[in-house]
Amino acid sequence: MDMLIAKDLAVSAALGGRTVPVIQELNFSLPQGKILGLVGESGAGKSMIGRTIAQLLPSGFSVSGGELMFDGQDLVRMPVETRRELLGRDIAFVPQEPLSGLNPVLTIGQQIDEHLARLNVGSRRERRERALAMLNAVHLPHGAELLGKYPHQLSGGMCQRVLIAMAFASKPKLLVADEPTTALDVTIQARIVQLIAEMQQNEGTSVIFITHDLRLAAQICDQIMVLYAGRPVEYGPARDIFARPSHPYTRCLQLANPSMSGARRGLYALPERMPGLSALSGINGCLFAPRCPNVAEACTQRKPSLVETSADHVAACIRTETTAQIAAPALAEVGAPDAGTPLLKVEGLTKTFRSDTGFFRHSLFTAVQGVSFTLHQNEFIGIVGESGSGKSTVARMLCGLERPSTGSLVIDGVDVTDGSKAAQAHQRAHVQMVFQDPQSALNPRRKVASIVTQAMEAVGEGTWAERVARAETLLSEIGLPPDAATRFPTQLSGGQKQRVNIARALCVAPNILVADEIVSGLDVSVQAQLLNLLLRLRRERHFSMLLISHDLSVVRYLCDRVLVMYRGEVVESGPTAEVFAAPQHPYTRTLLAAVPPDDPSAVWTPQPTEGEKAARTAMEANA
Amino acid sequence: MMQFLPPWMRSGRVITGLVIVAIIAICALFAPQIAPQDPNEQDLVATLLPPVWVSGGDAAHILGTDSLGRDILSRLIYGARVAMLVAFFASLGAMLLGSVLAYIAGYFGGRIDSIISRAVDVWMSFPPVVLSLILMVGLGVGLRNVILAIIVVDWTRFCRVLRSEVMVVARRDYVAAARLVGFSHWRTITREIVPATLPLLITLVSLEMGIAVIVEAILSFVGMSVSAQTPAWGQMIADTRQFIYDNPWNLLFPILAVFFAVFGFNMLGDGLRRTLDVRVTATQRV
Repeated sequence: MDMLIAKDLAVSAALGGRTVPVIQELNFSLPQGKILGLVGESGAGKSMIGRTIAQLLPSGFSVSGGELMFDGQDLVRMPVETRRELLGRDIAFVPQEPLSGLNPVLTIGQQIDEHLARLNVGSRRERRERALAMLNAVHLPHGAELLGKYPHQLSGGMCQRVLIAMAFASKPKLLVADEPTTALDVTIQARIVQLIAEMQQNEGTSVIFITHDLRLAAQICDQIMVLYAGRPVEYGPARDIFARPSHPYTRCLQLANPSMSGARRGLYALPERMPGLSALSGINGCLFAPRCPNVAEACTQRKPSLVETSADHVAACIRTETTAQIAAPALAEVGAPDAGTPLLKVEGLTKTFRSDTGFFRHSLFTAVQGVSFTLHQNEFIGIVGESGSGKSTVARMLCGLERPSTGSLVIDGVDVTDGSKAAQAHQRAHVQMVFQDPQSALNPRRKVASIVTQAMEAVGEGTWAERVARAETLLSEIGLPPDAATRFPTQLSGGQKQRVNIARALCVAPNILVADEIVSGLDVSVQAQLLNLLLRLRRERHFSMLLISHDLSVVRYLCDRVLVMYRGEVVESGPTAEVFAAPQHPYTRTLLAAVPPDDPSAVWTPQPTEGEKAARTAMEANA
Repeated sequence: MMQFLPPWMRSGRVITGLVIVAIIAICALFAPQIAPQDPNEQDLVATLLPPVWVSGGDAAHILGTDSLGRDILSRLIYGARVAMLVAFFASLGAMLLGSVLAYIAGYFGGRIDSIISRAVDVWMSFPPVVLSLILMVGLGVGLRNVILAIIVVDWTRFCRVLRSEVMVVARRDYVAAARLVGFSHWRTITREIVPATLPLLITLVSLEMGIAVIVEAILSFVGMSVSAQTPAWGQMIADTRQFIYDNPWNLLFPILAVFFAVFGFNMLGDGLRRTLDVRVTATQRV
């Protein structure tokens, strides 16, 4: 029996007086107890489908045709009261941001109680017992204690567990999970996904799983629908799609993601971006044609319809037979790190923060403890670890934004630990940082030319014309058109902003770049563009980089060596290939196990709870 | 700043405020040309005249005369001079003192921040009117001392509000980035932080102007402001207060003058806050 069926569903938006289609020709049927993965980059319309189910479309957006049958009833046309009865009871939701999904002024217990009361669960005592059982089911220990806590006292992963427990409390027939793990750490991500799968199996719930990660979807979903610009481009059994993608977009997405096993391969970086809503009507034929590597004359003539390529597997492409020919480019040759004296020598780096807890009291918190490593010219080192592991603090100390409490920092033979004026100048000339959030890292009141040549302004060098000229050279080097120089950051896309961010760091021609999570929050194809850009720059400029990332596949793709940090300490370090192939420390193993494997038929066994426990015990044993 | 021009000029509040403030400013600047009479000329034959539209009014004194037979309209127009001078210089001075300390405290943080913040706390624990009265007693009357007293009392208002805004901006990555490419502290504050806090600063100044008008009116009401020869709105209220039953009009006009001046500045400030503050405009657009 099919739980949710979409028939020619279409959503349109009123944009500046015109009506533009947002979602078109959406057809799927989700059988009971199965998981459908909606995969695509931002702007593909995947969240809009989730919102259509909840009937929470943004103002100006409306369903313009087709039907959405839930358990025999049309969700689009049913009366509001009926739908209100269904939502939260038969249809449950798990949001993207766990913290904003919970009310900050009510305790967890009050919120669960309120939800259960709505579901007509008997007396207060019964509800409390039920709440404890629910928390137990999502593997949250100390339930009784937890019920009295407020959301901000819990971690993001715990909040998400509470929300999952609440979503499953009503034994829903359908669960909509919209990127439920994007805001969480890798290790927690794996646990949450496993938890949803486990609950789904126990209850026989149908799930719509919205994600941008094709590998994750292939691992846990039964069916996958790949969306591009609001249209389904490929739909079929999950493993089949991953093993034999028929649509070029699916293939490109797959190749844009760095692999976690086997030989390292190049990344396929799709050019440009997905067309925006207003640009869609200007494209005649296949919407993907402008970016498609296999584009032919016929592709621009008419819109392709979904054709069956194998059993239950359809793709909207007229040249599906050529898809398999798309291959990853060869891995860029960057050369080995230079031998000899290291460029950067870090020894026993420790940072202790002091926070005032009262009028005369304070507490000390050690964010980084005894970190030592060396970095050679033309070498990329990755630092991995979950949030709070101290990796960003290390980055800030290397740049001079934070002064180490103890330890020493030697850059190109000069000790800069003391933070004197001369040391700072030396540090600035050699180390530059690329910040995590391009939004906050670019002054919205400055033009791009002014941002990337800020280093010239600092020394009072150059006229405005000279600065624009320098900016244009830098922009061409990082792959932006020269006319971007006179624009403001708000007029750029996320990927373009991050390029400007890199260009500013390159202005003083540093030998060391410190990059803090520079591709997190970007789409896979944009991420691939940036990673390839970094490799090209390395080849051209022969510089070194310290890459901080929670994404192990990115580190595997870019870095020669890797440092694994856990609670402020480096627990394992070595050549990337070696560490990833044979991790020694239990925490490294936990991290690696948390990443879904490349091969969807391989068994994914994140054993986080045990793994983390083991890591913790080992840490205590070492201490 | 160019990109801010269109939205704030389109705001009805800003235009209303600007028109009111402009009228008062013109009165102040061109008082000798506009005023029909000498504000200090006494006409003891025609005292306590009502306005011209009330029976017994005289066309020579459109808004009537006070107990010494001085022309109310002329005194109101001249009184705008004191009000505008105080509004302009006192708010500017309070802004300079308060914002410099706020930039230092918010940007550097730590010990210097706690010293400045504690000073503000202590300062704000004095009742403002009492503090300004004490200051006026100490300093003596005079326009310059009124301005000084308002600055000394009201700089804390700027310091406290601006400091928290500076702290938010100073934590943005682009400020760290500016330091990384070698910007000095001075350059970082003037080029990166001041532009980001300018909308708030402009708003605070316009609100402070309204407050300065009130404080000046209070001080001149109790005779602690300008000398008796200079017409001031607060003084006019004080002068006519004994004749409230004989001629209530005389009391009404200076009160209305104070009211409109403060209303104008507040409209201007509120309109600017709504159009310049990114947070408010962002939520309205959603």
